[in-house]
Amino acid sequence: MNIPAGRKFTRILGAELVKLVTLPAIWLILAGTFVAQCVVTAAYTSVALQSEPGTYTFLNTGLASMRYLQAGFMMLGITATASEYTGGQIRTTLTVLPWRGLQLSVKYLALVIIAVPAAFLMAASGVLYAGLMLRDTTVGLEPDQIAACLGGGTGYLTLTALLGAAAGAILRRTTPALVILLGYYFIVSPMAGAYLPDYLPDVAGYYMYAPPAAYPHNALSRLQGTGISILWIILFITAALVLYRKRDA
Amino acid sequence: MRAFYTELSKLFSLPGIWLAFLIGVLGPAAFAALDCIAEKEDILAGISTRLPEVGFLGLGFGVQGVILLGVLAVSSEYAVESSEAGHGQQIITSLTAVSSRLHVLLAKAAAVSVVTILLCILAIAAILPITHLILGEFAPAMEWTRLAGAVCYWIFTALIAFSFTVLTKNGMIPLTVLMINSSLVSFSVLLAKVTKLAYYLPDRAGIDMFMSMNDAYHTPLRGGLVMLAWTAVLLTIAAVVFRRREVGA
Repeated sequence: MNIPAGRKFTRILGAELVKLVTLPAIWLILAGTFVAQCVVTAAYTSVALQSEPGTYTFLNTGLASMRYLQAGFMMLGITATASEYTGGQIRTTLTVLPWRGLQLSVKYLALVIIAVPAAFLMAASGVLYAGLMLRDTTVGLEPDQIAACLGGGTGYLTLTALLGAAAGAILRRTTPALVILLGYYFIVSPMAGAYLPDYLPDVAGYYMYAPPAAYPHNALSRLQGTGISILWIILFITAALVLYRKRDA
Repeated sequence: MRAFYTELSKLFSLPGIWLAFLIGVLGPAAFAALDCIAEKEDILAGISTRLPEVGFLGLGFGVQGVILLGVLAVSSEYAVESSEAGHGQQIITSLTAVSSRLHVLLAKAAAVSVVTILLCILAIAAILPITHLILGEFAPAMEWTRLAGAVCYWIFTALIAFSFTVLTKNGMIPLTVLMINSSLVSFSVLLAKVTKLAYYLPDRAGIDMFMSMNDAYHTPLRGGLVMLAWTAVLLTIAAVVFRRREVGA
């Protein structure tokens, strides 16, 4: 069938979006992440309220939950790609859409369309809540700094979802992908952080949304962090695309 | 007894079990080694405050391996085969072969516990020579009571992961929640800063069985009993739900 390239693109995007939106797991993960975000932010805020005034700014407190949030976005990405492989849905997908590279790239785009608003909502709700609760104890910050941190946080969570999606497409199974990513982000990196260089995906990503620190100054600037994170994501997605084209043909 | 052997052979034929062994045995050894090297300078300078913990730190994190084990043992039963193979689930075969729901669950829990004990003994056997090799005469004394506490911690954690997965039928959420919770950035440690009640959460109470952290709250025995109570309650809930739910399936 001869379809113009533009029509083909919008149709694939529509199909991928429908697939993602109709996965119950996606909504469960997003809702669960949001609940966890509320609990964690409330906990951090209450710790900040108990400590000396001025120890924490509301931006610090509001963004402290990002560490936990990233797990939800990893799950989101992994589910988006690895769910194709349970029950053989991948064969239907590839029969209907024989353009492998295009199909997977559009899937990533569909994931971004879902992840960006979700990430913004979560990052902003944390900062908003902390801001309301800590109004009296901390000095105000410049609005453009808050905007930059929120933008960086949204970008970081979206990139984490993409990383999860790349890992899901490479490993083709949910559990190993999840174990490897969580193991690195939550166990290896915090434990061995001092021995690892700054440009690994999680540390570079941290500087995308790191609140301005009075002292010790951040090792990477926001732009450097963003650039390095994007390079990592491009690397993983390219690997996923290459493997997908070779393997699942 | 035959059901127990069957469950054991099912466990050992899971592909993911090798990942569990890798994390559960090599992980603790690697962490113990890293920690010993990092602590050695402090010990020689005489400023080390956590000498007795050095080897046990690995056991605190190696528990990730048995979380994976407990989750996989259940979630593999619910994995859906491809549509070409008739959307089958292993649980249907399992429950046809052994019709008593309670027997299946108990045999599975027993198999998980036995493999967990095996893993923990292997991990301890790996840690002992490593600490002695690196620290020499400073190597911490591995008291039997504390090692037994570590074994109990591993078993209870594996069984909590097991019961949790029976309830969710899917490995993703229990795996994420439990893996994060036994990492450095655990929810319960954060909550413990907010409310004393959080010290009664299973992982926070259980860790007191073998780690004398500076914010230890329970005696080893009481920590163990709190965690045992959680495990018993969760297993009972899992058994009740499993009996009621898997009647027709």
